Amino acid sequence: MDLDKNMTQEELAHIERYINNNLTFEELSIFEEKLKNNPDFKNQVEDIKTLLFGIEKQALKEQLDTFHKDIPIEVIEDKKQPKFRFLNFKKTAVAAAVIIALGSFWYTNRSTPKSVFAKHYTPDPGLPTTMSSSDNFIFYDAMVNYKRKDYLTAISKWQPLLLTKPNNDTLNYFIGSAYLADGKEKEAIPYLKKVTLFKEETFKNDAFYYLGLAYLKVNNVELAKKNLNFSTIDNSKDILSELED
Amino acid sequence: MRNLKIIHSPNRAINQLIEAIKINDTHVLKELYQNNYRKIEILVLKNSGTIDHAKDIYQDAFLAVWQNIKQNKFQPQNETALNGYLYTIAKNKWMDFLRSKEYKKTVVTSKLNNFSIKDTHLDLKDDDILKENRLQNVMQAFKDLGLPCRSLLMKFYFEKKSMNTIAEELQLDAASTRNKKYRCMQKLRKLALKEH
Repeated sequence: MDLDKNMTQEELAHIERYINNNLTFEELSIFEEKLKNNPDFKNQVEDIKTLLFGIEKQALKEQLDTFHKDIPIEVIEDKKQPKFRFLNFKKTAVAAAVIIALGSFWYTNRSTPKSVFAKHYTPDPGLPTTMSSSDNFIFYDAMVNYKRKDYLTAISKWQPLLLTKPNNDTLNYFIGSAYLADGKEKEAIPYLKKVTLFKEETFKNDAFYYLGLAYLKVNNVELAKKNLNFSTIDNSKDILSELED
Repeated sequence: MRNLKIIHSPNRAINQLIEAIKINDTHVLKELYQNNYRKIEILVLKNSGTIDHAKDIYQDAFLAVWQNIKQNKFQPQNETALNGYLYTIAKNKWMDFLRSKEYKKTVVTSKLNNFSIKDTHLDLKDDDILKENRLQNVMQAFKDLGLPCRSLLMKFYFEKKSMNTIAEELQLDAASTRNKKYRCMQKLRKLALKEH
C-alpha cells in the first residue's frame, strides 16, 4: 500500500467517483489517460479499490454470525410445503375439532359471534419465502415478519408497496390478514373486502372466509354469513351451521 | 418475441438478486446464507467434521461467493446455479481442509474419494495471491480501527448510505462529515500498511 504519497481529500473523492462510475464522460477520458501513463497513479487507484472492498468484506464477515444465529431448523421442509396442502391439513384438523366440539357442547353452550370467531380463527400461514420467488424483496422480507407474528412491522413494509400497486390482490390480502391477526379487525375489513371484489381468484376464497370471520368479530352476523357463504372452505359451512343454532 | 418474453422473466429475477447482493442488501444476503447452510452442515458432518467446522467452512465459502459476484468473476444464470456454486465452493474448501497437514495425520485417504476436485474459479495466480494478501491486510486493519471510524466507513461503503443521510445521522453538516470520512480513510490506510 502506497502511503508515501499523501492523498488529499479531493484526490480521494475523485478516485472514489471513478470507482463508483460517477465521473462525467470528459472526466473519465482524462482519468483513463492518466491511468495509462502514470503507473504510480494506477497503483494508487488499485489501493483505494482494495481499501473500499476490504471495508465491505470485513463488514459482511462480521455480520455472518448474526445470520447464523437464527437459521430456522425446519428450513428445508418449510420451503417445500405448498400452501394448499397446509390449508387442507388445517381444514381437516379444524373440521374434526369442530365436530368433536359440537358433539360435546351442543346443548350446553350457546355461542356468541365473538366466541365463534375465537374458536375458528387461525391466522393465514403466509407464503413460503423462497428466494426463487423473490421478484420483490421487500414483500418477502415483510412476509418473514408476518410469519414471526410481527404483524405491525410486516404492515409497515407492505403499505408503501401498496401505494404503487393499490390493486394488487396479494398485498391487500396479506395486509388485511396481518391486521386481523393483530386483533385489528376493523382495519382488516376494507383490505379483505377489496380482495373479494377483484377478479383474481388466487386469494378470493380465503378472503371471503377471513372477511366473514372479521365480521363475526365485530358482531355483524349478517355480513359474516353472507361472506362465509361465498367461501368454499369447509370450515365456513361449519361456522355457518353453528351460527344458525 | 414470445420466446424473448419467456427468457426475460427469470433473467430479471436473477439480475435483481445479483444487484441486491452487490449492494449488500442485508435481507437478501441473510436469506441466501440461511437457505444454503444446512446442506453444507450435512456434508461436513457426514465427512468427519463437526458443527463448528461446518460453520467456519461455510462462512469462508459464503464470503468467497459474495466476492466473486461483486467482482463479476461469477455470473450465475439462475438461482439454482448460485446455490450450486456456493455448495461446490464450500465442499472444495472442506476437502482442502481434510487434505491439509492439520488433518491428514488422523484420516484415511480413501475417505476423500467422494469429492471431485475441480473449481476453476478458485485457481489463484500469483498476482491474485498478492491482491488477496493486501485485501486481508485491509480487513485486519478495518477490524482494528476505532469504533467511530468503523461505523462511519461502514455506513458509507457497506450500507451505501448517502452523504446527506449519514451527515443527518451524525448531526453534522456535509462538509464536516466528508472531512471525517477522509481522516478515517487515512487512518485505515496507515493501519493497513502496518499490517504489511
